[in-house]
Amino acid sequence: MNENQQKTTHFGYQTVAETDKASMVADVFHSVAAKYDVMNDLMSFGIHRLWKRQTIASSGVRKGHHVLDLAGGTGDLTAKFSQLVGETGQVVLGDINSSMLKVGREKLHNLGLVGNIDYVQMNAEALPFPDNSFDLITIAFGLRNVTDKDKALRSMYRILKPGGRLLVLEFSKPEHEALSKAYDFYSFNLLPTMGKLVANDSESYKYLAESIRMHPDQDTLKAMMNDAGFEQTTYQNLTGGIVALHRGFKY
Amino acid sequence: MFTNFLVAIVERILNTSLKLDSTLIDKLAPIAHKQLLIEIRDWQQRFLLVFSGQQLHLYSTVENQYDCMISGDIDTLMTLQNPAMLTQLIRQDKLDLQGDLNIAQGFSNAFAAMDVDWPKHFSRYLGDAPAQQLWLSLKSAQQKGQAADEKLATTLSQLCQDELKVTIHPIELEQFKQHTRQLKGSVAQLEQRINRLLQNHSIQ
Repeated sequence: MNENQQKTTHFGYQTVAETDKASMVADVFHSVAAKYDVMNDLMSFGIHRLWKRQTIASSGVRKGHHVLDLAGGTGDLTAKFSQLVGETGQVVLGDINSSMLKVGREKLHNLGLVGNIDYVQMNAEALPFPDNSFDLITIAFGLRNVTDKDKALRSMYRILKPGGRLLVLEFSKPEHEALSKAYDFYSFNLLPTMGKLVANDSESYKYLAESIRMHPDQDTLKAMMNDAGFEQTTYQNLTGGIVALHRGFKY
Repeated sequence: MFTNFLVAIVERILNTSLKLDSTLIDKLAPIAHKQLLIEIRDWQQRFLLVFSGQQLHLYSTVENQYDCMISGDIDTLMTLQNPAMLTQLIRQDKLDLQGDLNIAQGFSNAFAAMDVDWPKHFSRYLGDAPAQQLWLSLKSAQQKGQAADEKLATTLSQLCQDELKVTIHPIELEQFKQHTRQLKGSVAQLEQRINRLLQNHSIQ
């Protein structure tokens, strides 16, 4: 291969240099950070809260556990985990984007959640933790933005304790054709308009819709998790497969 | 998803009760971070209840981790308020209890002993005097409602127990028949007498 030839990846429907994707994704989230929670509620009609509840219900988290909430954004999952692990546990809210971390930290401080939460800016492909550090890793609506997903999954596997589990909550492929068509219409027509009206940013929400379509479907992601070393990998479709919750264990 | 939605509503109600009765947090403190798994067999659902020190967390789950597990049909679980039934239900295989039962009792006792200072909460919106007045009116209405309910129950039970007169008694029937026969006899006599008078009149 020509050394000068750059490796490429997708950024929504665009093909971009791998080295550029992280900064382009960062720009998207810098842009939407301030209105992230409002837009989440608006875009999903509040259903994202139920998807996150299902993630927590499937986490098996207990007092004293160490949890990494990757791509944790504004800290919805961290807020719950912080209470469930108690003062003897620890939750790390990790995100590649400083703006999102800032919003998340302010929100959690305002909720009075301090003491067992650390905020770390990190890249999921090279997680800055020793091997076997966490009982649970979650990544909710973050994996599709990662440039090298296989590398990120291997990195998560490395820092997970034996017996620990990874939960990936991510947009996926709707199970039924009719739902898929309605979802496409909503994503490509209504979503960018809502983004324009509320966050004054239609491009970021166009990227959101495109990045969802480019993300691996349920079975492909399951295979990727297996390849990274995870065992007993399963997934659960939520809201007809619009979102899927993948679960894998390290033994 | 719909189950998740309902569970979220129940969780919110439970957490509202924590705010209404500040002593509830102290009562639940001994079982903080202990996981109570409630399995409702006929619904094929499992719910995990955890008190994290400040909030109650309720989830619909498929996990099998718990400190205490109660499993039974919904009808069976509803009868658990009577502790005398426990042994009988377990023997009949209608109820399964595993783990530290103090956790289930801890939740049960805390909510059973809930004492909400309603006038205090109402006073935030209405002021002290109207709040107290509203509370007294509500209590009075509740007592009247209870009294009416008891009266209705008593009346209904009396109606169910006492014999209702839906048909006449056999003696009354016999009397009626006797009267009818007498009347028939009298009418026949009258008829004969009238006929005789008419005959006499036509002869004359």
